[in-house]
Amino acid sequence: MTEHSPVLLVEGLSVRRGEQLAVDKVSFQLARETDTALVGPNGAGKSSLVGAVLRRVLHRSGSVRILGHALGPAGELPRAVRSQIAYLPQSLALQGRFPLTVGEFVGFGVDPPGLSLAWLGSKRRCEAVLRALERTGCQDLAKRRLSALSGGQLKRVLLAFCVVRPRQLLVLDEAQAGLDAPSSERFQELLLELRRQEGWTVLQVSHDLEMVRRSCDQVLCLNQRLRCSGAPDHALSAARLAELYGPNVVPYRHHHAGVGSHG
Amino acid sequence: MADSSALLVVLGQPFMQRALFGGLLTGALGGLLGSFAVLRQLSFFSDALGHSALLGISLGILLGINPILVLIPFAALFALLVNQLVARSGLPADALLNIVYSTSLAFAVVALSLVETYRGGIQQLLFGDILGISWSDLTVIAVLLLGALLYLALSLRAQVLLTLNTDLAGAFGVGASRHRLAFIVLLAVVVAVSIKAVGVLLISAFVVVPACGGRLVCRHFPHYALISATLGGCCALLGLLGSGLTNLPSGPCVVIVQFAGFALALLLRSAFSRQV
Repeated sequence: MTEHSPVLLVEGLSVRRGEQLAVDKVSFQLARETDTALVGPNGAGKSSLVGAVLRRVLHRSGSVRILGHALGPAGELPRAVRSQIAYLPQSLALQGRFPLTVGEFVGFGVDPPGLSLAWLGSKRRCEAVLRALERTGCQDLAKRRLSALSGGQLKRVLLAFCVVRPRQLLVLDEAQAGLDAPSSERFQELLLELRRQEGWTVLQVSHDLEMVRRSCDQVLCLNQRLRCSGAPDHALSAARLAELYGPNVVPYRHHHAGVGSHG
Repeated sequence: MADSSALLVVLGQPFMQRALFGGLLTGALGGLLGSFAVLRQLSFFSDALGHSALLGISLGILLGINPILVLIPFAALFALLVNQLVARSGLPADALLNIVYSTSLAFAVVALSLVETYRGGIQQLLFGDILGISWSDLTVIAVLLLGALLYLALSLRAQVLLTLNTDLAGAFGVGASRHRLAFIVLLAVVVAVSIKAVGVLLISAFVVVPACGGRLVCRHFPHYALISATLGGCCALLGLLGSGLTNLPSGPCVVIVQFAGFALALLLRSAFSRQV
């Protein structure tokens, strides 16, 4: 693994969901410390692709290499590699009165994967949690229940979970879904700042094409197959968007600054 | 009306001492497992397991084998099969569990009706007979409690992450199916072992009620698991004492005390909310 080796290398990846082919022979790579957006209409296979890259997907073919190590058929990776991956989901299944505080949740991220007594409040763990919460502007939330947070606060706490231990690859699955425009903007600014500080390589599934245009280095346009890829100006041209989302799709501009596909 | 001398007489009996110790351990085990089962939305699963356990007992009686020896492997196997059925059928889990447990209950009742000599013991199966608990039963329960404590302490992070988001847990290296399976088998074995004390009909209360009480008053996860286990153990102890003094069935007495504990937790929570 050299400095120029890709952090993520996907070659000929196909994913089957039931009888359907969700992802068909997709190849791409993420260079170190770049931000790549995965865009495409609903049902295009974005989440299937992310799932295949991150974890066990039974009906998968092709090859996925993370930091030079091949992902096994059941999602196996050396623990040292697995501990370099952070994932930020759309939401958490927080049923009412979920008995878990923000500090406890972020503390779960301090130790690398594996069985451990990660819930014990050691000094090292407490300091790491406090630092992560400060960096994401959540220091006042440490003792709050996770289930009592607003959408914007929860996303920042999820970022704190990612930043509490150094990682190399950050994968976001529509992380800004459900946020209002100002919260989404603040989240993106924080993500950019942390990415620079941490040297993260980012793969993010997004529907916010204006954000993608402004922030990302590379765009992957997926609709079962990889329809196009490249720099945002190239991949998000009107002609290519029409090809990806259909001819009747008009990119619209949010009242704040964001743009999304509408169709 | 029971007085203090009656209480001393009851406490002096070796079978009662074994029963109280067994109740404490079973209640704590139920509360501990329940704190995770409720969060992972497996409370109905424990109910279905309890009802289906009657089929395992009936099979043991029909085959002439000690029902308790049949029950533990039966419950574990049953849990694995139901888990596969839920995963592969695509049907809602609660509907599927309903089908499975009512069918196995029906088979169990039919099987028991064929065995003339066992009809007298059906009430003990349904509502528990903790007074008949032996030292070997107690040893099994104690070992199970220690094993459950160790497994849950080490896998707490994995269990919570799996509850919150399976993709997040998967990316973190948590083997979702491995942990789900391990937890379900542990829950099945606990249910099977507790049947003697609690009975088939009320076993789910042992798992669900203390955990819900704990959830009402705790915001930290380790406190929640600890309080649920303590509540389960203490309620079982008080319920058994009540049962010994009044000569009422042990299972229902414990569940009534558990409900009182839950009601107390509700009151505490609303009192605390008002202060805040």
